[in-house]
Amino acid sequence: MNITCNDRDRIFEDGTLAEWAALEAHAATCPLCAEEVRTWKSLSVAAKELRDYADSPSFWPRIERALAEEVTRKAQRGERWNWFSRLAGLSLGWQTALAGAFVLLLTIASGWIYIVRPVAPGDTDKSLLRSSALKEVESAETAYQRAIDKLAAEANPKLENPATPLLANYHEKLLVLDSAIADLRAQTGMNPSNAQLRYQLLAIYQEKQHTLEEVLESKQR
Amino acid sequence: MGTMGLALPWEARISTRRERETRVEPSDLGEGRSSAVMDGLSEDAALAAACRSGDLRAYERLYTMHGARMKNLARNVLGNPIDAEDAVQETFLKVQRSIASFRGQSSFVTWTYRILINTCYDARRSRLRKKEVANEDSEEPPRHEPRAPGAHPSLRMALERALDKLTQHQRDVFLLYEVEGFRHAEIAGMLEMTETASKNTLFQAKKNLRLMLEPPRSSAAEAR
Repeated sequence: MNITCNDRDRIFEDGTLAEWAALEAHAATCPLCAEEVRTWKSLSVAAKELRDYADSPSFWPRIERALAEEVTRKAQRGERWNWFSRLAGLSLGWQTALAGAFVLLLTIASGWIYIVRPVAPGDTDKSLLRSSALKEVESAETAYQRAIDKLAAEANPKLENPATPLLANYHEKLLVLDSAIADLRAQTGMNPSNAQLRYQLLAIYQEKQHTLEEVLESKQR
Repeated sequence: MGTMGLALPWEARISTRRERETRVEPSDLGEGRSSAVMDGLSEDAALAAACRSGDLRAYERLYTMHGARMKNLARNVLGNPIDAEDAVQETFLKVQRSIASFRGQSSFVTWTYRILINTCYDARRSRLRKKEVANEDSEEPPRHEPRAPGAHPSLRMALERALDKLTQHQRDVFLLYEVEGFRHAEIAGMLEMTETASKNTLFQAKKNLRLMLEPPRSSAAEAR
């Protein structure tokens, strides 16, 4: 087989054993190809350095345990499904009778709930705000919050660099109150109609207002 | 180009010719070899059937035959033995969960390796996402943990670093062919590419690796 330097890359990519043998014969008389073949083969040798087939004795037991657990889980799911499939195995007459009994049971239960616990239209849970009331509460709350923010802005220079331990205490207390306000606001955001949360938020705002007033008073003294 | 040697200790190399001869490529198959391949195929089908029946001993056989190789491949993709073991375990669970859907379009073992490679890249992606959340560099390649000392630790480390700079396909093909010893036909099945594409990707990978591992010409010339 006649091989030249031009065939080298093609043989590297997809050469047959015969072509490799011919290339090596050519490389015996061509230093450039000899170096290229040596370097090319060296990469294959280097790759063997990435082989590490050391056995880890605890590895198969770990996999086996995971596989066995999966089998158990699958069996449990299968049992649950079997319960339903047993129903499917019943005759059509029995299935109809069971479905009818279930519908009857549901009707009696809902009828009983309707009769025993009638709900008047205006008699909703008082702890839930109706939408119109909710809007009023929210706008009042926003105005109140703005007023407190103005108060906080006035007190802020004194709180940023507290001159006395008392002012430092007020500063810490206000940080705690702000954190509680943030938590409650997040909760009211998720459940805006809950009046109980609104009351708690109002109480904390009032506490913040009193604290800020005390800070401002101590400033005037 | 390429008249310089690689800047690494190559003296201890063994003949790759012998390795090429032991790796059975489809074009090399004679009658004796083809009957061996047929035996292998029927064993593969029997293993798949046993796994499908839920026999845990079949999974143990799969582990005995391929566990070490699977773990080594996962380690080379993921960079450390703990993640590699997790990926191999996850692969066995995925095989168990989806064996019913295995229709035998490819060999069972090829299918298993395909699952392993996908699992490794899922793990790698999830690790990158965690790093992104932690504001770390998302392009950072996996850090390779030290292994048991081999014959040429510096060569191995240089190769690991160079492999990280290859494209995913080039790295996969190089690892599967040169490190794990799979045939191009098998690699084609695992990576869902043609055999020709596998050969070409390996060629490109080795060309790039050679460039990365070759010393700068001037310094090599000075050394001489």
